[in-house]
Amino acid sequence: MGHLAIKNLSKVYGGADMAGSVVALRDVTLEVPNHQFCAILGHSGCGKTTLLNIAAGFEPPTTGTVAIDDVPIRVPGWQNTMIFQDYALFPWMDVAQNIAFGLEMKGLPGHKCKDITRHYIDLVGLAGFEDKFPHQLSGGMRQRVAIARALAVQPHLLLMDEPFAALDAQNRSFMQDELVRIWQREPKTVVLVTHSIDEAIKLSDCIAVMTRRPGRVKEFINVNLPRPRDEDDSSYLQLKRRLRALIHEEIAVQQTSMKVHSI
Amino acid sequence: MSDILGLPRRGKVVRLSASTQSEDVAPPTQPANVRAWPRTGRFFAFLPNLTLLVFVILAWQFASTVWLPRIDPHMAVLMPAPTTIAFTAGGMISSGELFFHLLASLKREASAFVIAASAVPLGIAMGWWRLIYNQVNPIMEILRPIPPLAWIPLSILWFGIGDEQNEFIIFLGMFFPILVNTIVGVKNIDPNLVRAARSLGAPEHKVLARIVLKGALPQIITGVRIGLGVGWMALVAAELVGANSGLGFLINDARSMLRTDTIIVGMLTIGVVGLLIDSAIRVLSRRLLPWSLALTR
Repeated sequence: MGHLAIKNLSKVYGGADMAGSVVALRDVTLEVPNHQFCAILGHSGCGKTTLLNIAAGFEPPTTGTVAIDDVPIRVPGWQNTMIFQDYALFPWMDVAQNIAFGLEMKGLPGHKCKDITRHYIDLVGLAGFEDKFPHQLSGGMRQRVAIARALAVQPHLLLMDEPFAALDAQNRSFMQDELVRIWQREPKTVVLVTHSIDEAIKLSDCIAVMTRRPGRVKEFINVNLPRPRDEDDSSYLQLKRRLRALIHEEIAVQQTSMKVHSI
Repeated sequence: MSDILGLPRRGKVVRLSASTQSEDVAPPTQPANVRAWPRTGRFFAFLPNLTLLVFVILAWQFASTVWLPRIDPHMAVLMPAPTTIAFTAGGMISSGELFFHLLASLKREASAFVIAASAVPLGIAMGWWRLIYNQVNPIMEILRPIPPLAWIPLSILWFGIGDEQNEFIIFLGMFFPILVNTIVGVKNIDPNLVRAARSLGAPEHKVLARIVLKGALPQIITGVRIGLGVGWMALVAAELVGANSGLGFLINDARSMLRTDTIIVGMLTIGVVGLLIDSAIRVLSRRLLPWSLALTR
């Protein structure tokens, strides 16, 4: 359950043939097998968040399809849930209520909601904080609530939009390890958007490197390193160099094209 | 630091530095120190701020009892002394007269508020659906700048003199602040919260009930506070011309009998009750929405 297939996806803002229209994505094709962790790596403004928003059902594609197990995604729902960069926790609900929200929306009976909520509170390590409100929690803990809330609905596809961008370096590294631990306990098909090469290598089974706008998949790389990933391992460093080169190529091209435009 | 200290800032800062300077009292951590003060300290720290008020009352007493009668005894009637006012107030309270008029006013304020609360669903609909906003907003923009008092002549012809006419004027005063604030509250909701709810499988009506209404609630309560205040002002004005009871009627009626002391008692009651209503809502919203306080901090 959860084979993601993105086929010939394009997104144009402002009408396809109008002047001033922006092509955010052009002909993106990407497949993520069931229970694989895929990172979408790209320079800022390459359309990776647009890709995620389409996969979440927030925006319709201009052309092409996104499908989970051959069922096309058209609207947002628990099957393709998303974790936001700013967590988007409901400020008027405490931790347990936030996590139970999606379960209630699914129409599960009260005792089941409670059991499942309990399970995910334990899984993400928030026991003892059930009745705290988001504003009483640190950034890392809010992140845990967001992860638990998304996992609790048992999504077929979990989307993450730069989920660690708002954390400080130490917390980020710690939460990345936590995410891998949680994901290994409860495997899901995950698509994570990031601009951090280290984050991509540390977390994912496969990495899709995006070109500059209009975004396409420049290169699809399978990461065959053993977990937990060792940052000093030679093959890790080799992959990192390769990814950095790919990203720099895109930035360089973008800058020269901007120079040409300005002339 | 400054927000922990609260309002009577100067008095407290002085007290804090005094306590840290004294050798025998070892100051623990700063927050604990600060927190220990309000219980006992706030009351006394408040007192120096009343100095001017006490002086003004004393001057007023002197002017009414000594100075004005010496110039012109008739003028003294126009400015009753604080002691006279207190005596009149005591009499009006014990006879139940003040309470009777206050209750009449409060009843009008309350029933008008029940009707004016319809601004909340309308505001949510206007804030949420563009089409409704575009259609309803022009009507509201025309009606909104008309002061409630300008409706008094027409409302007397429509409803006659009595509760309905008064409530209509109060309703007009309350409706627009609540409406405008509800619309703003809905429009200011973090769009990611709505997206998150949908992404967790919430259907549209649940998004409205559990995200939009809840998210707009702090702003709605602000609107209710302003609305009740404006309504209270409109109430007195409406009662001045079109009522047989209520605080507005009380002070207007006392005018015809030159009972300046009764007028002032009525005015003070209007002020104090208005203040109490406002504080009650503030305390209530702080209790009910602890999270929003943290958001605005």
